[in-house]
Amino acid sequence: MAGVLGIYAFEEIWNVSRFLFYGLVAIQNRGEEFSTVSVGKDTLTVSGTPDNLDVTPLKGHAGIAGVFTKEEGFYSQDGVSIFYDGTLDVAQLAHKIAQGEPVEDVLSTVEGAYSLLVLKDNVLYATRDRHGIKPLCIGGIGFDMAVVSSESSALDVIGAEYSRDIKPGEVVVIDQHYIESIENGANQTAHCAFEYVYFSRPDSQVFGTSVHSVRKLIGEHLEGQEADVVIGVPETAIPFAMAYATKYDIPVDLGFVRTGRPTRTAIKPTQLERMIGVQLKLNPVRTAVAGKRVVLIDDSVVRGTTMRNTVSLLRRRGAKEVHVRIASPKLVAPCPYGVEVPTRDELIAVDNSEEEIARIIGADSFSYLKVDTLKGLIGLPVCTGCMTGTYPTEVSL
Amino acid sequence: MKFLLVGNGAREHAIAQNAAQYYDVYAAMSYQNPGIARLADFTITDILNPQKVADYCDKINPDIVFIGSEEALFHGVSDEIMSRGHLCIGAQKKAAEIERSKAFMRRLLEENHIHGSLRFKTFTEIETALKYIEEYAGSIAIKPARQAGGKGVKVIADLQAYLKEEKKDAKKIHAAQIVKEHLSQDLEDQILIEERVEGVEYSLQCFTDGKTIVPLPLVQDHPHAFEEDIGPETGGMGSISGKGQLPFIEEGEYTKSLQIMEQSVKAIKAETGVEYVGVITGQFMLTDKWGPTIIEYYARLGDPEAVNVMSILENFDEICEGYVNGNLGKISARVRDVATVVKCISPKGYPNQRSLGKDKELYIDTRRLKELGAHLYFGSVYENGGLYTGGSRAVEIYAEADTILEAGKIAEQATGCVTSDWKLFHRHDIGSPELLHKRMRTAQLVRDVYQYRAAHNLIGKTIDWIPGIGKIET
Repeated sequence: MAGVLGIYAFEEIWNVSRFLFYGLVAIQNRGEEFSTVSVGKDTLTVSGTPDNLDVTPLKGHAGIAGVFTKEEGFYSQDGVSIFYDGTLDVAQLAHKIAQGEPVEDVLSTVEGAYSLLVLKDNVLYATRDRHGIKPLCIGGIGFDMAVVSSESSALDVIGAEYSRDIKPGEVVVIDQHYIESIENGANQTAHCAFEYVYFSRPDSQVFGTSVHSVRKLIGEHLEGQEADVVIGVPETAIPFAMAYATKYDIPVDLGFVRTGRPTRTAIKPTQLERMIGVQLKLNPVRTAVAGKRVVLIDDSVVRGTTMRNTVSLLRRRGAKEVHVRIASPKLVAPCPYGVEVPTRDELIAVDNSEEEIARIIGADSFSYLKVDTLKGLIGLPVCTGCMTGTYPTEVSL
Repeated sequence: MKFLLVGNGAREHAIAQNAAQYYDVYAAMSYQNPGIARLADFTITDILNPQKVADYCDKINPDIVFIGSEEALFHGVSDEIMSRGHLCIGAQKKAAEIERSKAFMRRLLEENHIHGSLRFKTFTEIETALKYIEEYAGSIAIKPARQAGGKGVKVIADLQAYLKEEKKDAKKIHAAQIVKEHLSQDLEDQILIEERVEGVEYSLQCFTDGKTIVPLPLVQDHPHAFEEDIGPETGGMGSISGKGQLPFIEEGEYTKSLQIMEQSVKAIKAETGVEYVGVITGQFMLTDKWGPTIIEYYARLGDPEAVNVMSILENFDEICEGYVNGNLGKISARVRDVATVVKCISPKGYPNQRSLGKDKELYIDTRRLKELGAHLYFGSVYENGGLYTGGSRAVEIYAEADTILEAGKIAEQATGCVTSDWKLFHRHDIGSPELLHKRMRTAQLVRDVYQYRAAHNLIGKTIDWIPGIGKIET
């Protein structure tokens, strides 16, 4: 997982480093292990979220930035920076560029599933794989800058106006005098469905569709249940809970208050960190659940650990019943495109029915969103590989 | 009858094309525009030198002189021609001040309480401008106080507190650049800073004899260099006009715009003592503060907007003769009922480094252009055996149809008829459904706000609250 951002100012009177910094903060939901910024030929990288970056020394009118869950997502050497979300052979790509092949030609032949930015000699290149699996959009700030970003939230935060999505297979080259679009033809598009369920911010537009509008629809299509209160696990599941509550006419309430900074539990690297993560994070609000039949909505269940803790916490705060609704389909297979879905034997959904999962996590009932429902609600050709084990490209797992 | 045209751009090419239907056309150009050269007898001269142009005028003795270029007006070419007893359609130097001096224009609107005043400040020295920028960090437009062919204008939205310092730095560097690159020799004011507004832009081009104005259909220009409104500001990469008016401007907004222009023309007379005889173009924006708001005035037709209107104007002769006979007030512009699209083709390098795309050979497939029903107007192009670029917008492709979208398609196809070994670019999206929908949406958002403001007696008002000082209404 990663989020990438590129900014190109057409005049050298601008220094884009702080624009990159704030834009990066706006997509930090996409990866929290590493943050990095390249401006001109200089690169800064830190562990953790962008808060740890001090971009003051960076000065230039063109730059790229990214947040990453893995170190493989970024490469920066000899005046070439390559940041991507997804999977590709970055060593091979860097080698070809170092050999002096025109970057746009190299980018037109990259294999993999990716949204990719390259900065070389103050020229910014942006491209997406031919299936359009990962999101990438472009916009502008007045007459001054062009901005490309994984999510449109970064555009909003730095005052840019969204123009459009970069097309699958398209290479966009931005320099001082022109924005060139090279279309290499797209394959059958297969946008990552999980973007809508989990990764993207609700105020973003990805693959040309509002994330929040899809999430509201999902909330309305979760299995109904007679209950006294609906609560969502912060932050992602709150919109699902609101839509569910409206649909079934059950009050929605503030179920949890978070302690400390938001971290995304499903993409934390170790089991221990996940346990600590969830206990520190979510403190149930007693009066919201005590003595009540509760519908608890979360965005996903990977290993079940987080959910088991949450249900048990609710019971200890006095919840009479806990019905769990998951706003994504079962995860049954890994993601070959760079999303850290655990291996099959780590996925609770692989061997267990919904009833069994309910027993394991200690809930009164448990149900997932159905894959076909999700597809219908998104209304675009999507990749549901982690939910079905069927992938849009040939993959070796 | 003889018609003498002063100027040499695509705008003048379009004027010459129309005039040639009725008149023997003569042209005074600073370089040989290949399109005008085919339509007119011409001389190559310094068109900013009133004596030289007037001498040529005396030699030709035309019935009508039409000045296309604003710089010729600023240099008093019109005054000199009139003083020698010729009829000249082109504002006198004093009247053309409405375009040349942006400070004069803002003061005129303000002093005459004309709808659409924006807060502004002028500076004669860079130090005071920098101090002002340092202290007043806000959303502003920084412009050279003197019209510099549309160059040197920077509009900066300053809405994110966390990016204030970056924007302040850019504003200061830009202000210093204005003084360096656009130092005005003939005006005291150097820099104009005015409040930034946003919305949808449109141009209203009018003929006027100072007493009445004869409007042409609304046209919208596209100033961003690249697709989807991204990229540096240019003189305009293309323009559209609709059947009737532009689809995103309402009748009431059009009427208001016209009224603003009528009042302005009268105010110019009152202020300068000079009757405005020529062309005046209002560069409007529909803003949330005022609704129709003047951004800038031109003392001539717009470019590329001139191509849209001159291609459909059916009674240019009646209008010209209206000036001759003093009965312009009885004439209205008659235009063919079609939608039009113009796309400009520029060499890579335009607009920020024009020298890069200069002297590149152009190849034009005239037969194919004709088959498509499109027309080509020459801008910054010269002939030297072949056709070569001058570095600015090279040619403008014109197409017309029942709808903007159809005209856009034809113009888009026709851009393929112009090629070069150098990289040429144009905007594919001008006249596309996506862009037109975006304009409709933006216009509606702005309209909702200004109508709300109007209903609450807030139109044109700015209310600030400053700690320690209190509420300030302007």
